[in-house]
Amino acid sequence: MRLTPYQIITPLISAVAVFYAWNLVLRRRKSVLEAGLWTLFWGAISIVALYPNLLSYLSAITGIENQENAVIVTFLGVLFFMVFYLVIRLEELEQKYAKLVRHLALREAGLAEASEGQSKAPMTKHQ
Amino acid sequence: MLIAVIPAFNEAKRIAQVVADARKVTDAVVVVDDGSDDGTAEAAEAGGARVLRHHQNCGAGAATMTGIEAARRLGADAVVTLDADGQHDPRDIPSLLRPIRDGTADIVFSNRFGPFLIMQGKRRNRIPFIRRLFNAIGNVLTLLAAGKWVSDSQSGFKVLGKRALEEIDLRMSGFEFCTEIVREAAARRWRVAEVPTKVIYSEYTMAKGQSFANGVKTALKILLRSFLR
Repeated sequence: MRLTPYQIITPLISAVAVFYAWNLVLRRRKSVLEAGLWTLFWGAISIVALYPNLLSYLSAITGIENQENAVIVTFLGVLFFMVFYLVIRLEELEQKYAKLVRHLALREAGLAEASEGQSKAPMTKHQ
Repeated sequence: MLIAVIPAFNEAKRIAQVVADARKVTDAVVVVDDGSDDGTAEAAEAGGARVLRHHQNCGAGAATMTGIEAARRLGADAVVTLDADGQHDPRDIPSLLRPIRDGTADIVFSNRFGPFLIMQGKRRNRIPFIRRLFNAIGNVLTLLAAGKWVSDSQSGFKVLGKRALEEIDLRMSGFEFCTEIVREAAARRWRVAEVPTKVIYSEYTMAKGQSFANGVKTALKILLRSFLR
């Protein structure tokens, strides 16, 4: 089987990504479930790279038979990714907001740490 | 010094009694009012608690972490968290504390589903089937997300010893924080113990509990949070 550069590089990148994910599991920064999901994802990328004929089976299952369908499915994939990204960002914002509310509660109860009370803003000429 | 931390949202009817009961077995009680609009903060203060107020409702997880942070700064070497609706019996606090005092655990989870002792005779809590089912699902999700099995991962009744108190850093604001605590315990290799406790279910506490929709939302947040690290 003659391999193209894409068929060499893609599985290598996938292997590094999978290795990194399981390394995080060993360092207890990721759960087994998360690493498993990433393994499936990168595994699928590698398999499609090595066996592109599998895509014909995908065409039969998904109905993607021509370029127009491929564009629509790609667009849906991009849309899904954008929504997912927005949900992640919203979650991050919610966490920052909660942290702010919490710090305010501690400060008003007189329990803020000394370093939190110091202003980090530079003094202006008018102050 | 043992401090009780009670996150509370609209529990003006129950909080004073919960605070009074907790004060009998702890050195101090901290109530975190999570944006209530029914006078919960005032009722808690009247009951003798030190009260912190969230200006906006942020969720049980955020309120718990605020309370834990307050307890740290007040010099606590152990913290017990319990619900504000009177579901947990503060008389169980000494038995929850025992593994911490014995030096065999860094964090102790209560277990509503195991047999508990009353006057040397074992009893089981009468817990509605639907609650058992939801908690079982919660336990499985927690196992998948945290890699650790806890028999009652979703209970808000737990004790943090000195090490857990120093190291804990919760980021989840809602009820999913219960799973996050288990994940922290696993990631930081805390010694974990479980102690059977009594649970007091009433029409009031059942109405206050998580609905199915909330449970699904919590489960999705647990999975979503996994992508933020």
